[in-house]
Amino acid sequence: MLYREAGQFKTNYAADQQVFPIRQDRIGIIVLLAVAFLGVPMFASAYWFSAILIPFLIFALAALGLNILTGYAGQLSLGSAAFMAVGAYAAYNFQLRIEGIPIIVSFICGGLTAAGVGILFGLPSLRIKGFYLAVATLAAQFFIVWCLTKFPWLSNNSSSGVISTQQLIIFGHELTTPVEKYLLVLSIVVVMAMAAKNLVRSSTGRAWMAVRDMDVAASVIGIKLMPTKLLAFAISSFYCGVAGALYAFCYLGSVEPDGFSLDMSFRILFMIIIGGVGSIMGSFLGAAFILLLPIFLDVALPFFAELFGLPFSSATVSHIQILVFGALIMFFLIVEPHGLARLWQIAKEKLRLWPFPH
Amino acid sequence: MSKKIGDVILDLQNISLRFGGVKALTDISFNVKEHEIRAIIGPNGAGKSSMLNVINGVYHPQEGKIFWHGKERKKMEPHMASRQNIARTFQNIALFKGMTVLDNIMTGRITKMKSNFIEHALWFGRARNEELEHRKKVEEVIDFLEIQHIRKTPVGRLPYGLQKRVELARALAAEPSMLLLDEPMAGMNVEEKQDMCRFILDVNDQYGTTIVLIEHDMGVVMDISDRVVVLDYGKKIGDGVPDEVKNNEDVIKAYLGAGH
Ligand SMILES: Nc1ncnc2c1ncn2[C@@H]1O[C@H](COP(=O)(O)OP(=O)(O)OP(=O)(O)O)[C@@H](O)[C@H]1O
Ligand SMILES: [Mg+2]
Repeated sequence: MLYREAGQFKTNYAADQQVFPIRQDRIGIIVLLAVAFLGVPMFASAYWFSAILIPFLIFALAALGLNILTGYAGQLSLGSAAFMAVGAYAAYNFQLRIEGIPIIVSFICGGLTAAGVGILFGLPSLRIKGFYLAVATLAAQFFIVWCLTKFPWLSNNSSSGVISTQQLIIFGHELTTPVEKYLLVLSIVVVMAMAAKNLVRSSTGRAWMAVRDMDVAASVIGIKLMPTKLLAFAISSFYCGVAGALYAFCYLGSVEPDGFSLDMSFRILFMIIIGGVGSIMGSFLGAAFILLLPIFLDVALPFFAELFGLPFSSATVSHIQILVFGALIMFFLIVEPHGLARLWQIAKEKLRLWPFPH
Repeated sequence: MSKKIGDVILDLQNISLRFGGVKALTDISFNVKEHEIRAIIGPNGAGKSSMLNVINGVYHPQEGKIFWHGKERKKMEPHMASRQNIARTFQNIALFKGMTVLDNIMTGRITKMKSNFIEHALWFGRARNEELEHRKKVEEVIDFLEIQHIRKTPVGRLPYGLQKRVELARALAAEPSMLLLDEPMAGMNVEEKQDMCRFILDVNDQYGTTIVLIEHDMGVVMDISDRVVVLDYGKKIGDGVPDEVKNNEDVIKAYLGAGH
C-alpha cells in the first residue's frame, strides 16, 4: 500500500485532470521542491552549486526545450546549443544597451529572441522531415555561431566574441554567492517546467503530438500544420534561449560563441534520448545522468584501477567515458526508446501491484 | 425507412482525379442527402478512398465541381474540412499512437477550443474551463461507444478492433454533420462488425449525422445503407437503392470479374 491509487476515486473530471492525479505523486513533488528550495541550500557546498546543481538545472531546461520540439512535436533538431547562444547573447545585449532593464526581463527577451530565430530555422520543417530537417537545423547551429564571431557588435566589440556577463541584480540586491544563483536558476526552471507540463497536457500539446504521430490525420481533424510546428519551434527555442542566458549569467559568467558547439547540441539530444523522449521528467533525469556520469566515472574508474592494480591514465578515463556513453545511447535507442522516464514508470507500475505480482 | 432523409447537401459533378498517368477517378457524379447513409462500394483500387479524400480536401480533383449545401466549393485544404463539420476515419487506422485513448478523442474537439497557448501554459481561466467542458462531451462519446474501460490506455496497445472504434470516437467527438468512414469494419470478426453496425446506425439515428461509408462486406452494405454508389476502375457503374444496385448487370459483372 505504499504507492497505490486504489481508494482514490475521482468524482469529477477536474480532479482527474490534475497534474499529478495520484496522491503519492503530489506529496513526492512537494517534498522534492521543499528539499530543492530549503534543504539543499542548507547542506550543499559551493562546489556542488557551481559545478553540479546549477549546470544540471540549466541543461535540464535546455533538454526540456528540445524535448518539446523533438519529443512532443516530433521535429528533430541539432541546433539546441545555437539557440542557447542566441539567448545568452541577446540577454547580454539587452542588459548592455537598455538602461536599467531588470535582469529577468533580459532573460525573457533573450528567450524571445531565440524564439524568433527558432521560427526562422523552423520554416524548413514545413517541407522536410526527420533526417533532412536535422540537417537543416545543423545549418542553424553553424550559421548562428559563425554570426556571433563574425559581427563584433553582438559581443560589444570584444575579441573573438567573448562576452562577460553583467551583474545579477534582483530587486536592488546583487546575487554573488553560488547559493543565490542556484535559487534564481531553480525558481526559473521550476516555473518553466510547470508551464511546459501545462502546455503538453492541453490542446497545444495534443496538437503537437498529433502532428508528430500522424500529420495527415491531424490536418483532417482541423489542426493547421504550419502554426503548430512553428509554435513548437518558437517555444522550444524560448526554453533553450533562457537556458542559454542562465548558462552565461549564472553558470560561467563569461562565454564565447564556440562554447555553444555542435558537441553541446548533441549532449542535449543525448539527455532526452537517455532521459525519455516526450517526457518532462525525462529531461531532468537525462540531464542529471549525462552530467553526473562523467563525474562518477572520474572517481570510480581510478578507484577500481587501483583496486585491481591496473595502470590508468586520465586519457583512458575519458576514452572509457565515451565508450560508456555510446553503449548507453545505443541501449536506450534500441531497448527503451522512452528512456529513464519509462523505466521509472515501469517501476511505479510494479510498485502499484506490490506486494502482489498480479 | 422511418427516418427522414433531407435535401442534397453534397453534390459532386464530373469529378476526375489523376495521379500522373493513373486515372483514379473518371468523370464521376453523385450526391449525398442529409441524414442518409450513403455507401461507396467497388473492387480493390476502384477509387473509393480517393473519392473520400476528394470530399474532405486531401486530394484535389483536376476536373469537376463540388457543391456543399448548394454553394460551389473552392479548392480546400484538409484542415478546412473539420470547419465544415466533416469528420472521417481512415482505411489504415490513423490514430495518434503515442497518446492515450482519451487524448486521441480530445483532439477531435481541437477546432472547437478557443484558448491559446499562453492560457494553456498558465492553465487558468478559459484554458481550464474549456478542458473540462470538452472533457464532458468526450465522455459522452466514450459512453456511447462503450470504451470507458480503455480511456487511459495508449492506443498503440489496443487490439485492432478497438482501435477502429477509438478512431470512430475521435471523429464523433467533433460532432460532425457528415461522417466519412473508410472501411470501418475491415478485419473485424462477426461480433465486432455487429457492434460497429449498431454504432453507425445509432449515430445516424440519434444525431442525424449523414454518413458516407466505404465497405466491402455486401451483407452489411445492403443492410444499413440508404443508397449505394458503385465504382469500378475509377468509373461509376451503378447508383441507387440497395436492391436496384444488387440487380444491376454491370455491378454483377464487375464483382464476378474481380473474383468476389
Ligand atoms: N496518393 C496517391 N498517389 C498515387 N496513386 C494513388 C494515390 N492514391 C490512390 N492512388 C491510385 O488510385 C487508384 C484508386 O485508389 P483508391 O485507394 O482510391 O482505391 P480503393 O477503391 O480505395 O481501393 P481499396 O479497396 O484497395 O481500398 C489506385 O490505382 C491507386 O494506386
Ligand atoms: Mg480504399
